[in-house]
Amino acid sequence: MNPPNQDMNRFDELLKTVLRRAEPPSGFAERVLARVEQRPTAIPREERVPWFHIFTVPFIRWAAFATVSASLIVGTVHYRNVRRERAEGEAAKKQLMLALHIAGSKLQLAKSKVVEIQVSRPNGEAEKNRSRSKS
Amino acid sequence: MRNIKRKLLSLVFLMLVSPLLRAQDFKLPVDVEKLSSTAKETVEVNMDGPMLRWASKFLSAEDADEQKAAKLVANLKSIYVRSFEFDKEDSYSSADVEALRSQFHTPVWSRVVGVRSERDGENVDVYFKLENEKMAGIVIIAAERKELTFVNIVGPIEVDQLADLGGEFGIPRLKTKPSSSNPVAKVEKGDHK
Repeated sequence: MNPPNQDMNRFDELLKTVLRRAEPPSGFAERVLARVEQRPTAIPREERVPWFHIFTVPFIRWAAFATVSASLIVGTVHYRNVRRERAEGEAAKKQLMLALHIAGSKLQLAKSKVVEIQVSRPNGEAEKNRSRSKS
Repeated sequence: MRNIKRKLLSLVFLMLVSPLLRAQDFKLPVDVEKLSSTAKETVEVNMDGPMLRWASKFLSAEDADEQKAAKLVANLKSIYVRSFEFDKEDSYSSADVEALRSQFHTPVWSRVVGVRSERDGENVDVYFKLENEKMAGIVIIAAERKELTFVNIVGPIEVDQLADLGGEFGIPRLKTKPSSSNPVAKVEKGDHK
């Protein structure tokens, strides 16, 4: 077995041999530069297209226009229908309340007349009874 | 064969039409209908079941009167009102009113109240329609000096609740307190015919 110092020396020698300065082969630099020039430039990233560029297509543009117009028309018609229905409903409600009010007030009129007469009658009947008893 | 076809067709027609006739089992005399041309103000309300249901959808749950009305009309089949208000007295004939009243002199209808007031010229008749001992309709005919009102409500109705609605809308309720003077009036109550 070799002593440790001997091993270290051999290792140093080995390192020196491996790491010794070596001249590049002739024309190495030229070849590297030529390769760099030949290499295609970096592939450009795909250009990001804004979403609204889709409307540059005429068909899409017309389709979008038609959709928006149709939506507006349908929306307006629906809104008007809802409003009309609401107005008609309110008018019907008023009619209903008016009818109930008229019916109620006439019932009250009948009621008041009945009460009026019921109150006035006992006096008359009492007088009648008195006159009957006298006779 | 033709006769049988005709009979069958007429039977089908009657079956289809009879529910409609039942809904409004009275006819306003033509002369009464014409009163709208001479009246200062005319109120005409014709509301059948679907219309009542639809109108009651718009009754507010927050408004107490409208809540009452919604309860009242929940089971009604129809409401018909004709009210004529005139500038002058005696703008309608008593014969017209009598023709109207006579339509309810049937076993189906019971005259519950009949008021004839010579002093005020206010004559009110209230008829109830009973079916299986349940209220199925009410008719009110109020003939006043300058006003003629006819109301027909078909369906089960709470009379007290209806009378409650008479004093709403900012109009004061009619006073039920009698006046001091003796009225010249005739009351027929519970006159079942």
